[in-house]
Amino acid sequence: MTTTTIGRRQKKPHSSNVRAARLSEVRFIVLLLLPGTALLVGVVLYPLLRSLASAFFAESLLYPGATWVGLQNVIDVLQDGFAELLSQTLIFTIGATIVPFIVGLALALVLNEQFRGQRFLRGAFLIPWLIPGVVVSFLWMWIFDANYGVLNGVLMQLHLIDTPIAWLFNTDTARGALIIAKSWNSFPWVMVMLLAALQTVPGELHEAAAMDGAGPIRRFFAVTWPHIAGVAGLVILLEFIWNFQHFDTIFVLTGGGPAGTTQTFATEVYDTAFKGYDLGHAGALGLLWMGLLLILVVVYVRFSERGEK
Amino acid sequence: MATLTSLAVEAPSTQEHVSERTPTARRAVRRRPRWALWTALIVLGLFAFLPVYWLAVTSVTPERDAFTFPPRLFPSTVTFEHYLAVFQTPAIFEYLRNSIVVSTITAVLSVAVSMYMGYAFSKFRFRGRKSLMYFVLSSQMFPQALLLVTLYVVFAQAGLLNTYQSLVISFTTFTLPLCVWMLKGFFDTLPDDLIEAAKIDGAGPWRTFHSVILPLAAPGLVAAGLFAFVRGWNDFMFALTLAGPEKQTLPPGLVNTYVSEAATAWPELMAASLLVSIPVCAAFILLQRYLVGGITAGAVKG
Repeated sequence: MTTTTIGRRQKKPHSSNVRAARLSEVRFIVLLLLPGTALLVGVVLYPLLRSLASAFFAESLLYPGATWVGLQNVIDVLQDGFAELLSQTLIFTIGATIVPFIVGLALALVLNEQFRGQRFLRGAFLIPWLIPGVVVSFLWMWIFDANYGVLNGVLMQLHLIDTPIAWLFNTDTARGALIIAKSWNSFPWVMVMLLAALQTVPGELHEAAAMDGAGPIRRFFAVTWPHIAGVAGLVILLEFIWNFQHFDTIFVLTGGGPAGTTQTFATEVYDTAFKGYDLGHAGALGLLWMGLLLILVVVYVRFSERGEK
Repeated sequence: MATLTSLAVEAPSTQEHVSERTPTARRAVRRRPRWALWTALIVLGLFAFLPVYWLAVTSVTPERDAFTFPPRLFPSTVTFEHYLAVFQTPAIFEYLRNSIVVSTITAVLSVAVSMYMGYAFSKFRFRGRKSLMYFVLSSQMFPQALLLVTLYVVFAQAGLLNTYQSLVISFTTFTLPLCVWMLKGFFDTLPDDLIEAAKIDGAGPWRTFHSVILPLAAPGLVAAGLFAFVRGWNDFMFALTLAGPEKQTLPPGLVNTYVSEAATAWPELMAASLLVSIPVCAAFILLQRYLVGGITAGAVKG
């Protein structure tokens, strides 16, 4: 009797200790994760779902209450120039992804060479990326200014144009102007990413290819590109996702104009909600927007999973 | 992500190869067209730096020179009157105060929240870890204009419109993915033995984290904090919509003060723009040591 009790006594505190220790570790981990998860759920997940849900209601920003309307908002949005909105968004997104990619890639290749001042230039070329987004918008607004803009001045002195062009107020030029402004802001990031990727290209492969008589262009496609293709893909994908929802530059530079030709999903949702006070249609636009974006995010997750293996 | 972190590890190995180069091979690679390099550099340099030059020059150009056509690429005299004018605008100081308050609180809160989360992701294996990490990562891919619509309604109901809280809560959340990832990376570099050793010495998990791990991660905390600060400093859309006229930060404040359809005061706006950019550039210079961390974290930037 006595021995068993002792045995039990000795055993019991031990096993409960282990369980208590495990329990306290679980509690510790939960507490570590709690504040961050709460914020993300409260400020990202809940608003997202609620915005999407309002697609099915007639809801105004000005009055409380919502009436169920089923798919009516989505149908309205699809019939009211959705194709144009989508194509405008895609034009901006593709342009503002490709231009900085080409500039950033060219710059990364140049700055990957050994020459004096290369280190300093790697830092200096980051300036356009460091400048706050609104300042970038102000600056390009001033450059593109119709009356005193420096772009018109230079182009006229070079006799490339005869009369000043209102770049941001002309339906032919406004989109291009936006893409240039946004690209100027984001190419340094592409450059930094690709410069890092270029470090992985083994020097002796270039030497071998050069000995075999391959020129620089041939060597780029045969040697360099295969080594940086992974990072390049990631860069393009992320730029695409960000540009797909970019707001600041468009809102400040053109406000979606002229004649709505530079509206994208971001500015259209904003205008519908905060200028039209129409939460239902804003939600419907958001629903379609999210659907497209979700495809991209799934691709991104797959992509980064593949990289992890 | 993983591809990028591995870059840093692989980089040194290429340097070994450099020393093995044979003279003939080196000459073969050297025979690159240098003129192509310099042409490319000049063209790209003009694209990158002419706008910066124009920003700086306009801010010191006298009014009469700025509003002439064709524009003068070099002003006749240099003046600092526009900077003086900016400093004599009382509204600017209100925006500046709001920007500093919002960005600083955002930085502190963001680090405080993300360090715990990053630590959990780095040093513990638990059920749902991967899913939660993907949730954190993908949360910054959701369109913020869409979140803003509901956040506006929620903050209005809670009476938080036109307050610092609405901005701080939003910015703190949006910087989490980046900061959690950065700090997870820092904690990953610290050996697990540290935790074991602290445990053997009788320290509880909180004590271990606060007095053993955190001091070692201090550089990471500073870097994450600066990133969060810059995010709050640069934001336009949320500040424009949630803050109202009194709590507005510099970016929407500058739009309201200077940009008008009729006549924008360009030289003064350029002067103010330059002043607003300085803290961001300064923060980055401080961060340069962590540039590699910034690059990898950049892959999750929203």
